[in-house]
Amino acid sequence: MSAPTANEVRPVTTTPDDAPEPTRRGGVGGLVEAYALVALTVGLVLLFSLLPSTSETFPTAANLQISLADKAILAVVALAVLVPIVAEVWDFTPGATMGLASVFAAKVVSETDSILLAVAVACAVGIAIGVINGLLVTRAKINSVIATLGMTILISGVVQWVTSGNSIVDGIPTGLTDFGSRNLLGIPVVVFVALVLVLAVYYVLRHTAYGRYLYALGSNRSAGRLVGIPVERLTMSTYMVSGLLAGIAGVLLLARTGAGNPAVGPGYTLPAFAVVFLGAAAITPGRWNVGGLVTAVLFLAALNSGLNLAGASGFVNDLANGTALIVGVGLANLFAHRRGRTLEIK
Amino acid sequence: MSASAEREATREVAVRARGVTKSFPGTLALDDVGLEVAPGEIHALVGSNGSGKSTLIKVLAGVYAADAGELQVGDSTYDLPAFTPALATSCGLHFVHQQPSVFPDLTVADNLAVGRGYDTSWLSRISARKVRARAERILERFHIDARWDDSLRNLRPGTQTMVAIARALQDQEEASGGLLVLDEATAALTPAEFETLAAALRRYSAAGQAILLVSHRLEEIVGLADRATVLRDGRRVATLTREKLNYDALVEHIVGGALDAAVPRQAAPRRLGVPVLEASGLRGGSVRNVSVSVGQGEIVGVMGLAGAGCSTLMRLLFGAQRLEAGTVKVDGQELHLRSPADAIRAGIAFVPEDRAAFALFPELSVLENLAMATPDCGRTGRLRHRRELSKVRTDLTRYQVRAQSPSTPISQLSGGNQQKVVMARWLRRSPRVLLLDEPTQGVDVGARAALWGALRMATETGTGALVASSDAEELAQLCDRVVVISDGEVVRELADTPCSAEQLEHAVYNGAVAR
Repeated sequence: MSAPTANEVRPVTTTPDDAPEPTRRGGVGGLVEAYALVALTVGLVLLFSLLPSTSETFPTAANLQISLADKAILAVVALAVLVPIVAEVWDFTPGATMGLASVFAAKVVSETDSILLAVAVACAVGIAIGVINGLLVTRAKINSVIATLGMTILISGVVQWVTSGNSIVDGIPTGLTDFGSRNLLGIPVVVFVALVLVLAVYYVLRHTAYGRYLYALGSNRSAGRLVGIPVERLTMSTYMVSGLLAGIAGVLLLARTGAGNPAVGPGYTLPAFAVVFLGAAAITPGRWNVGGLVTAVLFLAALNSGLNLAGASGFVNDLANGTALIVGVGLANLFAHRRGRTLEIK
Repeated sequence: MSASAEREATREVAVRARGVTKSFPGTLALDDVGLEVAPGEIHALVGSNGSGKSTLIKVLAGVYAADAGELQVGDSTYDLPAFTPALATSCGLHFVHQQPSVFPDLTVADNLAVGRGYDTSWLSRISARKVRARAERILERFHIDARWDDSLRNLRPGTQTMVAIARALQDQEEASGGLLVLDEATAALTPAEFETLAAALRRYSAAGQAILLVSHRLEEIVGLADRATVLRDGRRVATLTREKLNYDALVEHIVGGALDAAVPRQAAPRRLGVPVLEASGLRGGSVRNVSVSVGQGEIVGVMGLAGAGCSTLMRLLFGAQRLEAGTVKVDGQELHLRSPADAIRAGIAFVPEDRAAFALFPELSVLENLAMATPDCGRTGRLRHRRELSKVRTDLTRYQVRAQSPSTPISQLSGGNQQKVVMARWLRRSPRVLLLDEPTQGVDVGARAALWGALRMATETGTGALVASSDAEELAQLCDRVVVISDGEVVRELADTPCSAEQLEHAVYNGAVAR
């Protein structure tokens, strides 16, 4: 019997590294870090429900319906931003693509009166933009930030060209606008649509091999190729998924506003990024995740509707949203640092 | 030798750490550890992963605050619990790490100037003339074979490390103050490159520089160090003097047992089955013409000097680099390798050389890393998390991976344990052909034994393995056959087992000389 090797002497459960750092994820600190944003959202809801100036209007079914329906579209655009980011390629087009899709859908529906065709066209427009983005990044090897930024500007140009800068308001069938304003079981239908998409993206990212491969690409592209992941094909697919989601968002936008407005789309991009970044600091901190995204959307919904009802001017919302993003990610970083690691949002 | 004996007698000390204790929640990483390095001494610090070696270095660098202990540098004494990186720098402790933090795209002169500040003229304008003159002075002083305007990228790894050392030491007027700590700085060097560096280190030490060398490569230490301090489980178990400093003694102290337990030697030459891998006339990149075959259950070594084409050969066989000519057959079937996915489908597995760059997904968990090549999906495409978890637990035990839990991010594991996970990732596919490129680089003796054990286990079920390594000792003990490559071609094949490490080294250098 020979002497045991170094490995056998040590139980499997000891701290693994030569430099055992206190980096455990569990524990109270981990919970605080993961659910701080949830707690903050609940706090905001309580605050506005009790505050004299908003306690009459904030905790009402009508306000809930309006603020959720408002943010449902933002949530879908944020999903479109999220999917490519998981694989560490960037997509700045979702807002503009949504605008383009809604304008095309409005044109089609006003001329043919077919809602189904309009939906199909919006989705097709979204996927087409996704394919172009994907080709630029995987084939032409253009940096994804630059390629999709260029596409954003280009799409805005196309939208102005197609609409001559005017909203398409005539001939939008009431069937479509009803869909945008109707409630089901007291909850706006658009919220249900967003919820279905949220669950679908969550399922794909968390519970399928495809999702795991995307996180793998986000973590180390070269290693991904060397375990047989079809890197280019997956990258292309994330842009197509992103485009499809933006296309659906375009239909929701049209249904909700009853107009193909050429000016609305691009304005959603930055808030969508804010939601994705803020969300990466919640639920599973340091990882792009759908749960955090939803939390961030709800947080903004509570914050913005509360501020509006309290009579704050429009610019206050921007001030609050920007501050929330910086402080939120900053605090998450600080927590992570205190506990011996850095929050690398990847 | 007489000079160092004299120093020994006068007990002159460049750096002395005493009673260093450091605990982490649940672990006592350092327990009353002492360390003394004399001026002009090359002192080795060795120990397996988890021995407390890295922790001690981090305490000396002021990165970790020790619980107790003091540090004497020259005439000054410092309290280690209150030690800081700034203090470490100001009292003359210089650190060069595994990945020397040089800037590959900048020139030698820029690299030397960046850390310390540029020489400037009027309006803070960088004075190119002064910067250049300084760089040339330093290159000469440290005998570095490079020009001031070479990009670091174009220098050999050994020379890059020497530039990093020169940068660390540049402000010392005489090369005798303080302590130069080389923290695994030699891990990525080939033997030839190491020799260049070793010669330089001997020169520095002869000039009076105290050097602390942290390395897993025991052969290097035996050839270079004056003394070696061995840590195990956070304690100093021995400080070996020159006379007692040999490979077997080091391993015995590191592992705490006899040599045979740590390094399983090849028993008898085994009978080998039909070929699983047949490659002929391969060309691509630095490989010009290589034919090699691997039998069922056979371990074939590939060895060559840096740039000879060993790593390229591996990448060609895995479809990771374009094959310009030649055929690759697995089990008699010819493959069309356009991507790694093709190779994987044909039953080839590849553990690449640079773990961090090509094998790990640092933010993902141990489980995700281990299961990456074999996701367990049901018919619906849903991952079966529970089954995955239980299988991963089995693998972690089988391959002796030390991890807190399967959900720990892999970046928190030590190098050896990370490598075991990468190995397990492929072995669970039961590959026909296993390609290993420098599989034990930068891992400790214990992990190396576990990795070799895993490899043997796989070959018993018929997997053929091709192992590229610059460690002759490793190949001599592990392989049934070794192919020597020089300048992209096979120059020798050593089939007589067991062949010795010396034989291999000779074959490699002779192969290079013959061209």
